Amino acid sequence: MIRTVLGFFIAALTICIVIILAPFSSDVEPATIDVTRNETGNVTAPVAAPIGSTGTLAPGVAEAIAPAPGVAGQAAARILAASRAGQEPELKIQTDTSSIGDTTAGVLAALGLATGAAPAPTPAELGGDEMMNMTASVLSGIRGATGQPAAAAPQQNDLQTLVAWALKEGQSDSYIDALLNEAASAGQITVPNMLVTSDGRVDTATLLASIVQEATAATTGQRAAVPTTPLGPSDGVEVRVVQRAGETEQFRFYTVGSGDSLGSISVKFYGSVEYYPRIFEANRTILSSPDRIQTGQRLVIPELG
Amino acid sequence: MLRLFSSIAIGLCACFGAAQAQDVKITDNLPEAVIDLNGTTVTISRIQDTENLLTGDFAKTSRPCPPFCIHPMTIADGVETVGELEVIDFLSTKVAAGSGLLIDSRVPDFFVRGAIPGAINVPFTTLEASNPYRTDIIKALGAVEVGGGLDFTNALNLMLYCNGPWCDQSPRAIRGLLEAGYPAEKLFYYRGGVQDWVMLGLTTVTPSNDG
Repeated sequence: MIRTVLGFFIAALTICIVIILAPFSSDVEPATIDVTRNETGNVTAPVAAPIGSTGTLAPGVAEAIAPAPGVAGQAAARILAASRAGQEPELKIQTDTSSIGDTTAGVLAALGLATGAAPAPTPAELGGDEMMNMTASVLSGIRGATGQPAAAAPQQNDLQTLVAWALKEGQSDSYIDALLNEAASAGQITVPNMLVTSDGRVDTATLLASIVQEATAATTGQRAAVPTTPLGPSDGVEVRVVQRAGETEQFRFYTVGSGDSLGSISVKFYGSVEYYPRIFEANRTILSSPDRIQTGQRLVIPELG
Repeated sequence: MLRLFSSIAIGLCACFGAAQAQDVKITDNLPEAVIDLNGTTVTISRIQDTENLLTGDFAKTSRPCPPFCIHPMTIADGVETVGELEVIDFLSTKVAAGSGLLIDSRVPDFFVRGAIPGAINVPFTTLEASNPYRTDIIKALGAVEVGGGLDFTNALNLMLYCNGPWCDQSPRAIRGLLEAGYPAEKLFYYRGGVQDWVMLGLTTVTPSNDG
């Protein structure tokens, strides 16, 4: 008798997992998604299947995925409409201080890839992924009942939603760039402040490159190395040797070019966007905020100690 | 003979009379409860057929214990145990005003087969410590992150239920919430659960699982 009831319970549990997972899994075929691109946007290698799960929830990502996009801006509006109640648009890129690591992890999680950036969830009777989906479904239920807007970092997730959707659709880098810039200028998404270029645009190339880097790290375990190619004057780099109190210090300066963001400069010198705060801190005297860099500014590039 | 006919006639009259007025009320003063919840109207009434009998799962008297053991009246210190009228009252006051939620803490499979109107599904598993995303749910319920901890001052009142007095899913959900710091005075336990609810012929709904 106990066995029969337990059997029914397990069967019920299985059915419920299938019900919950069905809408999420239909669009996601992690093994077939190409998120690995190089700087020029060519697909270099497909990535492998998911490993586990991250702690960053991307609710509404799956349900927000819309097929067959039209014009970039319309697509952005349509995708975001699903997860967002109307907000007053502002004609300026809204930024936040979120780390690009969260954004990247969120996008990869939406694509079914784990970066291992967050502590791995403890598997209970249900696996981590089921828990994430179940939690997302609970959250949408609570929000539906209380009428509260999606709280806790919805903007960050909106950026993730857009990028994940575009990557799944196999859109080109230039399309994603147009999509993000339209959405950002319409106030539909906020972007991490280090991804705003000297032209006031979204630095899509750096964002995508960072996603590739994380995806590579997640699948191969290899971290990007600091670029070894020496940067010369043609790259806007200038090296000064200063003698101070008997010590010789070497300073590198970089002249901000059109289309540079703090993130892209960090990649240029350190191989990863993660070090942008170092550049920002070293240039606090001329930068009020990481998203305020301007073409022609001369930034000090500190050595990584 | 005449007496027989007259008694039949009286019986028929009584029948028609009963069919017109609501015979099975919730209470003497409350034939049915009509509650406006966030724009949707929810009606709770009872099955009017006085011959109706339960069939299926909730007609069972005996389930193996463990795991389906009978639960005590008080599940945790400070957590009030309530009955059907308090559930209806909670819906029409707290839930309607946006200061409370009626939580069906069963796994989604049970929830979609029939739940108390106005309830939302928060499976007990998502409230246990093994869910790494539990804090997201706690915060959606109104807790605010302050410093390293959570402030529950404006957290919602929660009334939880599951399949019945023999079901441990809502007790486990309540223990999970308490463990996460949820104040006991904001938690309510409807011990009767769906078993007692359907036993009284009260309205259930089959929500679509849009999660």
